[in-house]
Amino acid sequence: MAAAERGAARPTGDNRTSRRRRRRCREHSLRTSGLAPRALPGQSARARGSGAERGPRRSAGIRCVAYNNQSNRLAVSRTDGTVEIYNLSANYFQEKFFPGHESRATEALCWAKGQRLFSAGLNGEIIEYDLQALNIKYAMDAFGGPIWSMAASPSGSQLLIGCEDGSVKLFQIIPDKIQFERNFDRQKSRILSLSWHPSGTHIAAGSIDYISVFDVKSGSAIHKMLVDRQYMNVSKRKCIIWGVAFLSDGTVISVDSAGKVQFWDSATGTLVKNHLIANADVQSIAVSDQEDSFVVGTAEGTIFHFQLVSVTSSSSEKQWVRTKPFQHHTHDVRTVAHSPTALISGGTDTHLVIRPLMEKVEVKNYDAALRKITFPHRRLISCSKKRQLLLFQFSHHLDLWRLGSTVATGKHGDTLPLSKDADHLLHLKTKGPENIICSCISPCGSWIAYSTASRFFLYRLNYEHDSISLQRVSKMPAFLRSALQILFSEDSTKLFVASNQGSLHVIRLLEGSFKHLHTFQPQSGTVESMCLLAVSPDGNWLAASGTSAGVHVYNVKRLKLHCTVPAYNFPVTALAIAPNTNNLVIAHSDQQIFEYSIPDKQYTEWSRTVQKQGFHHLWLQRDTPITHISFHPKRPMYILVHDAYMFCIIDKSLPLPNDKTLLYNPLPPTNESDVIRRRTAHAFKISKIYKPLLFMDLLDERTLVAVERPLDDIIAQLPPPIKKKKFGT
Amino acid sequence: MVQLRPRASRAPASASAMVDESQPTSEEEAEHGLLLGQPSSGAAAEPLQEDDEGDEEFDDEAPEELTFASAQAEAREEERRVRETARRDKTLLKEKRKRREELFIEQKKRKLLPDSILEKLTTVSQTNIKKSPGKLKEVNLQKKNEECEKGSDSKKAKVQKVQSVSQNKSYWALRLKDQDLRDSRQQAAKAFIQNSLYGPGTNRTTVNKFLSLDNKRLPVKKAAAQFLNNGWGTQKKQNAKRFKKRWMVRKMKTKK
Repeated sequence: MAAAERGAARPTGDNRTSRRRRRRCREHSLRTSGLAPRALPGQSARARGSGAERGPRRSAGIRCVAYNNQSNRLAVSRTDGTVEIYNLSANYFQEKFFPGHESRATEALCWAKGQRLFSAGLNGEIIEYDLQALNIKYAMDAFGGPIWSMAASPSGSQLLIGCEDGSVKLFQIIPDKIQFERNFDRQKSRILSLSWHPSGTHIAAGSIDYISVFDVKSGSAIHKMLVDRQYMNVSKRKCIIWGVAFLSDGTVISVDSAGKVQFWDSATGTLVKNHLIANADVQSIAVSDQEDSFVVGTAEGTIFHFQLVSVTSSSSEKQWVRTKPFQHHTHDVRTVAHSPTALISGGTDTHLVIRPLMEKVEVKNYDAALRKITFPHRRLISCSKKRQLLLFQFSHHLDLWRLGSTVATGKHGDTLPLSKDADHLLHLKTKGPENIICSCISPCGSWIAYSTASRFFLYRLNYEHDSISLQRVSKMPAFLRSALQILFSEDSTKLFVASNQGSLHVIRLLEGSFKHLHTFQPQSGTVESMCLLAVSPDGNWLAASGTSAGVHVYNVKRLKLHCTVPAYNFPVTALAIAPNTNNLVIAHSDQQIFEYSIPDKQYTEWSRTVQKQGFHHLWLQRDTPITHISFHPKRPMYILVHDAYMFCIIDKSLPLPNDKTLLYNPLPPTNESDVIRRRTAHAFKISKIYKPLLFMDLLDERTLVAVERPLDDIIAQLPPPIKKKKFGT
Repeated sequence: MVQLRPRASRAPASASAMVDESQPTSEEEAEHGLLLGQPSSGAAAEPLQEDDEGDEEFDDEAPEELTFASAQAEAREEERRVRETARRDKTLLKEKRKRREELFIEQKKRKLLPDSILEKLTTVSQTNIKKSPGKLKEVNLQKKNEECEKGSDSKKAKVQKVQSVSQNKSYWALRLKDQDLRDSRQQAAKAFIQNSLYGPGTNRTTVNKFLSLDNKRLPVKKAAAQFLNNGWGTQKKQNAKRFKKRWMVRKMKTKK
């Protein structure tokens, strides 16, 4: 039990940090475990690793987390202002996101009645997010200066904020907006944390060096509890109360920057119990709904689980005991949440860790293992196959790289030297404070398009010898802004844009200008955020996922809806249309893959077989979603998929593995007989030599491009962590 | 203060009278008398000597008689003159100040938006107020303190961005002072967080040291995680690269 508690990692997921690998430009040649085992030795595909040596992607740390019990969803806000919504029941998939803004420094996030999401930040505004239309409903200035904390009342109809000037303001939540009700007594220093009593009659507010308890009806402070400043036996620094929690029996739990967890009695205003748990700040606290356990997060990266246990096995008296420490983070844990079955923590090291509690989980299978979400669940890199360019999307700029090349040859498994280095062609900065939502480069490499929340940008690229020149297409129409997904057609004459209202725009691209062809209106069903587009290589069909009604397939030539793939209860993570056969391949967040034939308007035979037999249990237990699907131009039997820790070539002509066969079977050594080879070969050829993978695509029939993102690079540009003293160093 | 007319005192006259009678001996006495009788400076002494000669003629006449009335009249004249000059100065200053104030007001007016637009904005805000009776809204414009004071006493004064209803163009009117205040407060808040988490007194270390702790504890000790400093001498390296390229080109040319 204890071993399982410490987090049995999934066998194929490799949640542990990958072995350290410097990111550099290099050539790989694939071992044939993934590729056609019947290929001739000289025909191995060579893979080029793209080394973006400069400017690693600046990942944003997690600042706040809010868990919604009714819908089992988690809202996560990051330091760059992005708010992401994870659906915990759909295999922890990120289903919605709101792009960030430079001025928005979110400090608090909370859910209110009726699935409404509010956030408040240092710019002094309360922002409500529209989860249906995927934009910001309104931003209301609270006139108290920067807002440090926010809490929704237990009934969900009132909102309380704590401001920089020491005031606590109460807002009434009415349909469509919030309204200011009144101010409470003003305190001397900034209010950094707030908590409602479950009955809604009292409030605990944590400030600097003291905690106040307010009465909601009168708005006056009843008690003011002073917190001891002692930190490592020095009392010079002020004691900052990072979190408070109010229990229904009147106990107030406070966590502060001196590393203490203290229990106060709110009726008398006195300290009941003091736990010194860390040498650094304790920065967050979250209590479960039943109030029998809570979790705190410290600046050292450890989270502690406290539980209410009886003093002896027979007595009814209970006390709070610190039961379990978990060390899953390297940097500050700025926020924690407590769902009925799991502890959720997030911090400066950008990981979101969900730790199910073994005693609360009913079925003890691998679903109860630790989940660490590090990499984005959507594709941020696009590729132009003809010119061998890669476009990287960051939050405020785009990077265009040309891949290097080599003239050397070698055997399987060799790393070949580059004759021409990868070239950093373009660094395109976005205007304005908003983050980039999505971007794309056309397959011919002459168009780049990207969208922010308020504008849409389209650029034309001209290549002369070795240099490129950029030209912006001005006067983009207003309905294109805030696009969720952009895609160019295979011949680069058409641009498809999926907007956040659910409609799909088709635009014809001419030399230096554009013409709006058609708009497909939103179909019935609620709009999802992860709207994915796929276009067939012959340019006839366009597939769009994005509503809960299923994947729609449109006929581009006739500009009307062709058919709809039946809806599936898990969101779509990747979409692609195969050349020639026009089969639509869909990957869902529960690791299911479907193949749908567009001309026939039904699932293919292979897909039916797979569904009947089911996938291998290890395939279904992978914890990162498939983000990209591609095809081999000459071999219609191959489907190439990848997720963050593996890439796989599905060979439809080979038999499917059942649960007893080994899923991950690298090529056996050549001295084994052919019979054994044939026996163990199955359709899923998995390779794990490149990880963590951000993107993988087939450039032509002999070349594969893979973009890795070593965890070292992510950690290298994080802020400083707390010093750990180890004996002997 | 009544100013006395500078008159030769009697003391030297008596001394000089004595001198006339007995000159050789009384010169010294005169000097003494001069020295003793008068707190005089050298300058004062000289006219006295001249006066001495003049006084010799008017020796017999009585000194001038100044009546109290004339002296008083003189004094009053002086006073009046002084008062007049002061008053004139004051009025001059006042006028100057007034003119300057007017000039400033005019300059300010020139900077303001024309009245028509202001009217429009205020009427738009009036209609907005009518629409939502629950809240107080104002138009806060870029100057005009009077208008701002109207609304600044209410707690819920909002910076209302009002869209103009004019036909030619539409724009937002924003009060810049609010924005500066907001920015400075946001900066102060960010500085507070930065200071409390990463400031002095916190026990922080660099990422390199943090990652290298494991390397130090291994049975075979390894180097630090970020052992190489790749950012060193980038300019030098670039120059070297360029030089190499150019040298190669030259070498190729000379070879040919």
